[in-house]
Amino acid sequence: METAQPILQVDHVSKVFAPQLTPVLKGLTFKQEPGQFVAVVGPSGCGKTTLLRCIAALAQPDEGAVLHRGQQFDDPPPWLSIVFQDYTRSLFPWLSVRKNVAFGLRDLTKNDRDERVQAALCAVNLEHAADLYPWQLSGGMQQRCALARAIVVQPKLLLLDEPFASVDAQTRIDLQDMVMDICQTMSLSTLLVTHDIDEAVFMADKVVVLSARPTHVVEEIAIDLPRPRDQLATKETPEFLHLRHRVYTLVRQQAQKAAGGNVTEKV
Amino acid sequence: MKLAPRLANAMKGAVGVALAVACWEIVRAGGIVDPRDLPSFASIVRSVAIDLAGGELAIAFLTTFSSWAPGLLIATVGGVIVGAALAMLPRLELATRPLIEFLRPIPSVALIPVALLILGIGLPMQLFMVVFASIWPVLFSTKAGVEGVDPRFLETGRVLHLSKTARLLRIILPNALPSIATGLRTAAAIALAVAITVEMLTGRAGIGFYIENVRLNGLITEMWAAILMTGVLGYLINMLFMAVERMALPWSLENRDR
Amino acid sequence: MTVRRAHSIPLLWQIGIIAGLLAIWQWAALIHPAPYLPRVENIVAGYVRLWHGALLWSAIVPSMYRLGVAFLIAVLLGSTFGITLGSLRGLDPWVRPVLEYLRFIPAVAILPASLLLFGATDKMRIFVIAFGSTFPVLLAAIDGARRVEPMLIDVARVIRLTIAQRLVRVVLPAALPSIFAGIRIALSIALVMMVISELIAADDGLGFYILRNQRLFLTENVYAGVLAIGTIGLALTLALLTFEKRVLAWHHGWRGLVDPKGV
Ligand SMILES: Nc1ncnc2c1ncn2[C@@H]1O[C@H](COP(=O)(O)OP(=O)(O)OP(=O)(O)O)[C@@H](O)[C@H]1O
Ligand SMILES: [Mg+2]
Repeated sequence: METAQPILQVDHVSKVFAPQLTPVLKGLTFKQEPGQFVAVVGPSGCGKTTLLRCIAALAQPDEGAVLHRGQQFDDPPPWLSIVFQDYTRSLFPWLSVRKNVAFGLRDLTKNDRDERVQAALCAVNLEHAADLYPWQLSGGMQQRCALARAIVVQPKLLLLDEPFASVDAQTRIDLQDMVMDICQTMSLSTLLVTHDIDEAVFMADKVVVLSARPTHVVEEIAIDLPRPRDQLATKETPEFLHLRHRVYTLVRQQAQKAAGGNVTEKV
Repeated sequence: MKLAPRLANAMKGAVGVALAVACWEIVRAGGIVDPRDLPSFASIVRSVAIDLAGGELAIAFLTTFSSWAPGLLIATVGGVIVGAALAMLPRLELATRPLIEFLRPIPSVALIPVALLILGIGLPMQLFMVVFASIWPVLFSTKAGVEGVDPRFLETGRVLHLSKTARLLRIILPNALPSIATGLRTAAAIALAVAITVEMLTGRAGIGFYIENVRLNGLITEMWAAILMTGVLGYLINMLFMAVERMALPWSLENRDR
Repeated sequence: MTVRRAHSIPLLWQIGIIAGLLAIWQWAALIHPAPYLPRVENIVAGYVRLWHGALLWSAIVPSMYRLGVAFLIAVLLGSTFGITLGSLRGLDPWVRPVLEYLRFIPAVAILPASLLLFGATDKMRIFVIAFGSTFPVLLAAIDGARRVEPMLIDVARVIRLTIAQRLVRVVLPAALPSIFAGIRIALSIALVMMVISELIAADDGLGFYILRNQRLFLTENVYAGVLAIGTIGLALTLALLTFEKRVLAWHHGWRGLVDPKGV
């Protein structure tokens, strides 16, 4: 093959939970190249988590297909890793941080495993909390623990479901830098679901804007801001502001459409 | 739930029951045990019908019931009073704690020989055993229920100038009832088991004696029929208590889940 | 000073009540000698006799052996099947009615049948004890396995654990608090069934010891036997609680944070 295959292809995916309800996803299509950082934004409840579950093969689409390197999977592909939206519920409360991170490592000698876990903990600055239980950590630390568990298996494709929701603004900024850094050094392909438009534009190479339900792709916007990006400098450039404006306009249109039947809900 | 999945589940359940019966027949045919000791399931069911209609089995059940019900009633009243008292009078609870912690781990049935010595064979002895065994779950669930009343409710009562009795009857009791009801259901099952045990050991009339007696007389099918029906009785008692709970305590968390 | 007073007064009461009851017992036994009111010192002597020498081997050890084997069977069977049934939800409607029926058969009612099948052997006693104590573990394990946070299962699927690995590494630890609650109930049922099985058909063990001494009107030994059973029950419960506390250390801390009022 002359060109590298896309690492992920979402091809006309539809998902219906109950026949009498509006479909959640309808004909959703986009693709992601290896090493690309894609951000998905859309109104709340439009089916972003559902989309990620379909991509991870935790759920099967009713129509269409999800292709990983051109292949369809019934179980999560081995090179895929995911950080769930609700991280408090996705960490094992009976395992220490270290053991939570090591949970996914198999077929390694104890030495290799310890090394990998240590490296992952270092990458997220959590070495000092390695022997605590996750429920003894702050929200931001728990989130970093979930992140460490996702990268310790050295995935090729990392799915992040609103990973920075429900942490304070400063922690959020630190986590953003950390994730960008990790994805760069591990040359990961990352798919980030978020509803923070600044975050999407700041971090991604491409922003996929989703519609309200039934959800499909409204537009894909390439973000060609140079890397490395800086929280202050990049966010002040006119290019950033222009892109942010475009994405924001699109998302607001969708949100208004979503609230269309519901007059009381202003956005 | 809609009708179709319900029907499907009932069908699956029926298949499960049929499989269990088939297992019974396989064990029977397998020759691990003497087939005379394991009569065919059909003959057991036939025997149930005959014995129930003939009255002997039905009378045995009624006799057991006649010590089970008063025993459970006494245990309920006593357990609720003592449990509530322990929950509301912390000093009493503290003073009697070692005594209760000492009595609790003694398996009730170990006291049967003692009760025989003191009370002899008869209704008082059986009642005593039933009460002694089944009072504990009521007592502890009452205590937990009363202790678990949200202090904000009690404060509300005080702000509304309710008297002490009114607070007890209108705030504490309704709050503790779901917990008491759960304890009562456990107590009902224990009371049945103990009543049966006493009958088996002392030869007092009732289903326990009936089972032992038909076994000693070599009426194997009758014995299995009686055991089968004892399970049905236990199941029905539980159903009855659950149904009453659901009607009387719609605010119970257990009922809200449904 | 005041702190110590506040602690010692209830202790005095506790000791006082026990001592008072013992004194009343002893006084009644002295002025009103009856077969069912042996003197306190005789009961104590009988109790001490039980714990060493021949009686230890003919009363306590056989009982403990039956209890131990049956209890182990109950815990293993109950948690294995419970976790499997609880996590493979499709299975539930098939087995539910049978289970719901079996759990309400009082284990005593099974005893004559078991006697018929196995004779008056240890096999029969172990069967009856295990029958009674499996169900609390089984039902608690089913319940615990059903309540496992679905997201944890998703995590395990992304890591591509097999179903068996998922059961052992995710469902089992998550269901363990519930299973332990079931085991505690099972322990008290096992104790009851141990006594009954020995009262009805045995020639050794504590139940048999109590019954024989009752027939011989050696009442102090009857009381001593009852106390010994209570002691065993208490010791096993405490051992279980200690074990549970170690295994479930995470759960106590975690529940304290998530749900301060408890479940
Ligand atoms: N298992 C399910 N059964 C039925 N409906 C579901 C199920 N899971 C999700 N839904 C519905 O699908 C819709 C999309 O849910 P989803 O969680 O994917 O939204 P989201 O975009 O991730 O929302 P948020 O931004 O709040 O995270 C919601 O309306 C939800 O009610
Ligand atoms: Mg979501």
